[in-house]
Amino acid sequence: MQKTVYNKGSYNFRNNVTIDWCPGCGDFAIVTAVTQALSKMDMDPTKVVAISGIGCSGKTPHYLNIAGAHTLHGRAIPYAVGVKLANPDLNVLVMGGDGDMLGIGAGHFVAEGRRNSGIVVLLYNNAVYGLTKGQAAPTMPLGEKVKSIPRPSILGKINPSALALASGYTFVARAFSSEIAQLSDIIIKALNHKGSSMIEVLQPCPTYNDVNTLDWYRKRVYKLENDKSWDPEVNSADEDEEKFSRAYETAMTWGDKIPIGILYKNNIIPPFTERLTSIVPDYFKYPPANQDICDKNGYTLVDPFKTFNEKVID
Amino acid sequence: MHEIDINLLVGGPQGGGIDSSANMINMAFSLAGYYIFGVREYHSNIKGRHSYIHLRIMRRRPGSLKYPVDIMVALDPDTLFEHMHDVSKNSKVIYDSAFEKFDLSQARMILPDTLARIKEELSKNNLPLNAAGVLEYYHSHGIKTISIPFDKVINENVPEGPSTRYYNTLGAGVTLALLGLDMDHAIAGIKYAFRKKPAVIEPNVKILNAAYDFVDKLGENIANLETYEAKPRMLLNGNDSVAIGKLMGGLRFQTYYPITPASDESNLLENHEEIEYLSEEAENLRKGGLVVVQTEDELAAVNMANGAALTGARSATATSGPGFSLMAEGISFAGMTEIPVVITFYQRGGPSTGLPTRNGQADLDFALNTGHGEFPKIVLSSGDMEECIYDAMKALNYAQKYQLPVIHLIDKTLANTMDLVPEIDVKKVKIEIPEYNNDENNYKRYSLNTSNGVSPYGVFGRDVFWMTGDEHDELGHVTEDPEIRDKMMEKRMKKLETAAMEIPLEDKAVLYGNKEADLTFVTWGSQKTLIMDLIDELKKENINANMLYLKMFEPFPSEFVESILGKSKTVIDVESNMTAQAAKAIRLNTGIKIDNYILKYNGRHMTIDEVLTATKNIIDGKSKMEVLKNGS
Ligand SMILES: Cc1ncc(C[n+]2csc(CCOP(=O)(O)OP(=O)(O)O)c2C)c(N)n1
Ligand code: SF4
Ligand SMILES: [Mg+2]
Repeated sequence: MQKTVYNKGSYNFRNNVTIDWCPGCGDFAIVTAVTQALSKMDMDPTKVVAISGIGCSGKTPHYLNIAGAHTLHGRAIPYAVGVKLANPDLNVLVMGGDGDMLGIGAGHFVAEGRRNSGIVVLLYNNAVYGLTKGQAAPTMPLGEKVKSIPRPSILGKINPSALALASGYTFVARAFSSEIAQLSDIIIKALNHKGSSMIEVLQPCPTYNDVNTLDWYRKRVYKLENDKSWDPEVNSADEDEEKFSRAYETAMTWGDKIPIGILYKNNIIPPFTERLTSIVPDYFKYPPANQDICDKNGYTLVDPFKTFNEKVID
Repeated sequence: MHEIDINLLVGGPQGGGIDSSANMINMAFSLAGYYIFGVREYHSNIKGRHSYIHLRIMRRRPGSLKYPVDIMVALDPDTLFEHMHDVSKNSKVIYDSAFEKFDLSQARMILPDTLARIKEELSKNNLPLNAAGVLEYYHSHGIKTISIPFDKVINENVPEGPSTRYYNTLGAGVTLALLGLDMDHAIAGIKYAFRKKPAVIEPNVKILNAAYDFVDKLGENIANLETYEAKPRMLLNGNDSVAIGKLMGGLRFQTYYPITPASDESNLLENHEEIEYLSEEAENLRKGGLVVVQTEDELAAVNMANGAALTGARSATATSGPGFSLMAEGISFAGMTEIPVVITFYQRGGPSTGLPTRNGQADLDFALNTGHGEFPKIVLSSGDMEECIYDAMKALNYAQKYQLPVIHLIDKTLANTMDLVPEIDVKKVKIEIPEYNNDENNYKRYSLNTSNGVSPYGVFGRDVFWMTGDEHDELGHVTEDPEIRDKMMEKRMKKLETAAMEIPLEDKAVLYGNKEADLTFVTWGSQKTLIMDLIDELKKENINANMLYLKMFEPFPSEFVESILGKSKTVIDVESNMTAQAAKAIRLNTGIKIDNYILKYNGRHMTIDEVLTATKNIIDGKSKMEVLKNGS
């Protein structure tokens, strides 16, 4: 299979598609953080893909100069897992709103923790359904009243980072869109992590959310790595319990102080891709996307009698 | 000489050994050079409820099942009551003597309405509501019952027990003995059935010997079947066949969420993720394995399969009605973004959870109309094992060639039909690899520069392009430009025209039998082989019939169907649904309205006897619509 050719190093990861988010939207900064991360890694643009759901957040792949799939509301994770498992050589970035990931797609969000396929999920937390004009998202706290809803929300909230931890993601971080350098650094670490990562990105939506604004976040966020003793990495089973509990507690911290940074990074739980090699030994060598399925004449390579030998009566 | 045609029914509690009984019988007759054909009927239940296997044994390959059966083996008392109408004069009913004490007040697992009907039938005949009553019922209808003290026979031969473990072998053994199959082949059958558990062969062979002795003393042989040289064959059901076809057709990524009657396909594939290759052909090629993923739900199943397809891997999923409902949005997405994906759709009795383990062909309309908006897709259906295999290969080809979703319909009867397949031709279907783009840096995934609607293919990992379920431009970016919209709609739908032109007629519809017949059956799915058998039966009665068999519903072979039905004399549509959905598709596509119907929607497999009776009623002008009722 012949490949598209690109000059590494000088590659521009931002294409020339016009961005149509509202002025002041936190999503712009996420695009910047992603492109910075990819440039810094000198990523081969054919080796990374962006997969999104539906929402304002879902538009992100169109703005990146890498292969992109803007899929269905709530279904970005299944698409991403399909791509990753069929071709584990690819780096897979997933972009989804909080409605997308925790409302309509919550089942996939949770299931991916169990799978740990090795994808990087960026969850855009703006506490609203942006693209459908500001309804409460599953991240909006009970009793919060933003300008787009008629009365305080009577639904409670899900904490994305805490849910990610409980679901089994092996890399969980919280970031703030305006802290571009930190976000881009977290993205690099997540891309280098073997298992699945969930990065909750606090993202102001100036159009609909007049409570959790840029200033509101600025006053509250603090970086975990500023505490020199903060070490979220688990490299042996015996340190997991303590680090997990601390990560969970930190993830649940919300209010006057909001921690941002890497909450948890477990390096010992094998990703789904590695688990597959116990069933298909040549999985990494010849993954589904990279196999010959017929001979030069177009005939199948599969021997049905030998493969399904238990069905043969002779 | 009279053609050998043995019909059997083995009934017993779900999870209670009827499968291994049937398996022993199948193996023995297969090895003795016969063909077997069978269907399994069961409740949505793991242990205890009544299930049964309906089998037919012939020298030629049967394609249908028949009531009344010649031998009925009752491994539970329920069988005696549930199948009172499935035997007739000269049939033999084998049962455990212990059942003689059974009273219907103990019948926990017979459904209340069924029980009421059984009681009514016995009462009408002035018979007591117990085993003595039902046995008397059989005797008064000229049916021979054979009482076997199961525990006694087993304990005498394999005292270490537990005796219950050998009920299946004893039932199978008595059946084989009654049919006069020679002992060597019976033993070979048992050995084959237990080839993975060699330790249990010896006691089972002892039971088999005891069964033969028992029948010897009885002097009740109903046949003395000769044995023949047997070529190696594969004993397959529809699930197996589709799995084999998919793997041969290059499938390397399959997703599923468990559901009857679809998951057996995925479970078989899960057991064969490591592939055995045809040695010569595969030398020096990149040989990997298959990845099967059990997903969190069917939303994930279809969308993950779509995702995998984006990398160029041949990708598919399998489900049945409830799961297919959840897949609609993902199928529409695959249509819009031109993803090659195959959805194997095993139909069962609906609506809703319906009859989860029973047959139905009521999802044709749904498959044809699935997904919002207008997009091209191919809908095809299979009717026997060979078709399941080769159609699964073709479905993967169509998906890739035309870059669209392909829905492959199978019905539950076919999924659970056991059939001996004499041959799989590995060169029958060529794998067609789509044409990839050669653009280095300006690849347009949705190039409008195409005459057949198919844009040059590209995949993630090789090419940079975008895709979205929104209307999009040639690069795959969102657009709402009215002119591009029209062009993209037309480009996508053009692919269906291309497919209609390129796919050969024999893959869409086939006329079996004499062109000038007086009677034309129209059918699809598992009734295919039944009607073929029926055409032969009718010939014996000087009725000249043929069959218009439908395989592809989109694109639909309108001209051909019109050319056949336009000049047919009497046309009967045969389907396993209530609203005659294939006939509806014919009318929609050709304007032709079929006048006569044989329909069945009680969820049980059609049998040739009931279709024959219904056909005669129609020919005789007694009715235009026959609803079939066989099956318990
Ligand atoms: C199945 C389905 N239901 C509803 C919608 C309508 N819809 C589009 S975007 C959206 C919500 C987006 O909110 P979120 O996921 O938080 O993304 P944001 O716009 O905030 O980035 C909804 C409900 C849809 N596209 N698909
Ligand atoms: S609605 Fe909110 S999230 Fe959407 S683009 Fe505007 S500011 Fe951003
Ligand atoms: Mg949102």
